[in-house]
Amino acid sequence: MRLAESQEQRELRASVRKFLAEKHAVRDLMDTPSGYDAAVWEQIGSQLGLPALAIPEQYGGAGFTFVEQAIVLEELGRALYSGPYFASAVLAANALLCCGDEAARQRYLPGIASGETIATLALGDSELTADDGRLTGPRDLVLDGATASLILVTTGDSLFAVAADAPGVTVIPAATLDQTRRLATITFADAPATVAGSAASLSVAVDRAAVALAAEQLGGAQAALDMAVAYAKTREQFNRPIGTFQTIKHRCADLLLEVESTRSAVLYAAWAVADESDELPVIAPLVKAYASDTFSHAAAENIQIHGGIGFTWEHDAHLYFKRAHFDQQFLGDPAEHRERLMERIGI
Amino acid sequence: MELDLGPDIADFRVDLRSWVATNTPVGLADLTDWQSFGTTGGHRPDGLEAALADPRYQEWERLLTDARLVCPQWPAEYGGQGMDGVRVAVLNEEFARAGVPRVVRGMGEGFVGPSILVHATPEQKAHFLPRIVSGEDVYCQGFSEPGHGSDLAAVETRGVVDGDEIVVTGQKVWTSGAAKANMMFVLCRTDPEAPKHSGLSYVLIPFTGPEVTYRPIRQMSGAAEFCEDFLDGVRAPLTNIIGGLHNGWRVAMTTLGHERGGRATVQHLRFEQEFWELVDTARKYGRHTDPLIRQQLAWAYTQVQLMKYSGVRTLAQVAEGRQPGPEASITKLFWSEYHKRLGEVAMTIVGGAGLVRPDGDGYPTTDWQNVYLASRSGTIYSGTSEIQRNIIAERALGLPR
Repeated sequence: MRLAESQEQRELRASVRKFLAEKHAVRDLMDTPSGYDAAVWEQIGSQLGLPALAIPEQYGGAGFTFVEQAIVLEELGRALYSGPYFASAVLAANALLCCGDEAARQRYLPGIASGETIATLALGDSELTADDGRLTGPRDLVLDGATASLILVTTGDSLFAVAADAPGVTVIPAATLDQTRRLATITFADAPATVAGSAASLSVAVDRAAVALAAEQLGGAQAALDMAVAYAKTREQFNRPIGTFQTIKHRCADLLLEVESTRSAVLYAAWAVADESDELPVIAPLVKAYASDTFSHAAAENIQIHGGIGFTWEHDAHLYFKRAHFDQQFLGDPAEHRERLMERIGI
Repeated sequence: MELDLGPDIADFRVDLRSWVATNTPVGLADLTDWQSFGTTGGHRPDGLEAALADPRYQEWERLLTDARLVCPQWPAEYGGQGMDGVRVAVLNEEFARAGVPRVVRGMGEGFVGPSILVHATPEQKAHFLPRIVSGEDVYCQGFSEPGHGSDLAAVETRGVVDGDEIVVTGQKVWTSGAAKANMMFVLCRTDPEAPKHSGLSYVLIPFTGPEVTYRPIRQMSGAAEFCEDFLDGVRAPLTNIIGGLHNGWRVAMTTLGHERGGRATVQHLRFEQEFWELVDTARKYGRHTDPLIRQQLAWAYTQVQLMKYSGVRTLAQVAEGRQPGPEASITKLFWSEYHKRLGEVAMTIVGGAGLVRPDGDGYPTTDWQNVYLASRSGTIYSGTSEIQRNIIAERALGLPR
């Protein structure tokens, strides 16, 4: 484990940040039906190679580690990236890496790595039956379900792959509270599905996804804190910058403590994924719960510190507030993760 | 998971582990729980004094002194061996792993020494530092006064130059370790006409003789760990002024801001041990299945692990050659606020049983009662949480003063 960022990692961070600042127009995209820019996604896949980062080379990946992917995720969270990266390169890729059989990995991972395939994992415990290679039942709150061409879904002890355009697959996009994340309800009605592996190791894939989401939450929390601090330095009331008031200072200091603690935990957790450490089952729920609290707190304080302007639609503060709520609930809320943590440390 | 600090540090760790295994006096690790220091402001843990007086500890102290493992971070000419922050951290980790104590020189090592190293003349360093290493000089702190706590630069204790001596008169408070100290580092006003930050001096005065009196202050925990001190014309040579006359504020800031990361990766250990003791308590009272209690225990475990992760990250930064900055304030704010709330969680778990104290004179308390009461001091001493937040906001975030 080497927690200090290498030169190569710093360059990766800088290039992703620059790319997103130039190309990701979240304001324009949040009102569009798909919610993302297909041309930018194509560049993310083919030019930057970001979906390929943590996928092994034998499956068309770049063979870097989850540590590099966590840096990318942090930047995506900071920029409120609204494309299908998390669904495809995190959820689906790790479902295949952890649960998929060799044939399924060979078949699906190269497309996910290049970005040509947009995949998702339809998590949930709704009643779904598999009968002779045909799925029947609903899954709701599927991330990027209306964008994905490949839907992975578990039922019983198997992981299935379903083509989104297969007969019997109905996808209904949902209007999301956070317009930078897209959800859909998918209903399978005798839809043809291919067994892609065993669901026995799904918890490992979900743990990795929890760490990945925490990395995005870290980026969002850092962005919210940066916005609040920048505003506190320039906004004047009572003839002085509001950042001179201790009530503002202390709120920002508490946020920095939480953001820095989250950063330490995300770094450690990313190494736990990369090293396939036996510490992962403990740190995954821990970091997801803590990062959720941090991001929610930072996003809320950012609005308060901005005052009236922070409550307007034009200001970005509400985008982070809504994203924080989405991330807090997605993959299980903090209380659920804390309970999981207790079970995993034997209490 | 272990931090990869390179082959040199890995070799150092192996050699050190074998040195500890070879040299530790038999039974030293079992004398007491050396990693647990108790909660500052509360009753001292049982058995520590007896362990420190045990011949096996004294043998260990001699061995460490001979091996220059007391104040090892100081330069060799002053009694140390110039050990870098990463190696000090490994030293702390390996001693903790073996369950043996570091021999530390308290405020002399942690507060006075760093200020001397930065601000003193070579002659002063050669005089004062080796006496700290040997244990000959034991320091207590003379900063706070009854009228001046957070506003430290407003101290009123006077220092008057008289020939080649300085004469110190005033009242100090919240001194820990006064009974064991023979020296005090004191911040006093030597130029009453100057603006408050510019008229101060940092003086090492004898803490003995008829000019010095102190008396214990009984705290809300029932313990009396701190003292108030009356300095009535205490004399010290001018060569005991560190950093020059009227330059004491800068020297004091070095004392308060000193953090090299040496304890970064071990400071969570006592909190982790305490967490598992609380789990045992929760089981004993049948509260470990209560969903609300489980959420609070999970919160506590998370906080302790965050201390660990942050400590490992700090060490990684030190290994890269970066000096820790406002991390010291973040660390202090983190653990002191944590411990206060942990005391509340513990008393919630204990419930009605926590309303009753053990019998006996002098307000004895249970361990959790002691944590609950004594932890209130952690967010006040060494810079209140409010002062720490000011430091973090101004120095780390750059918010205007």
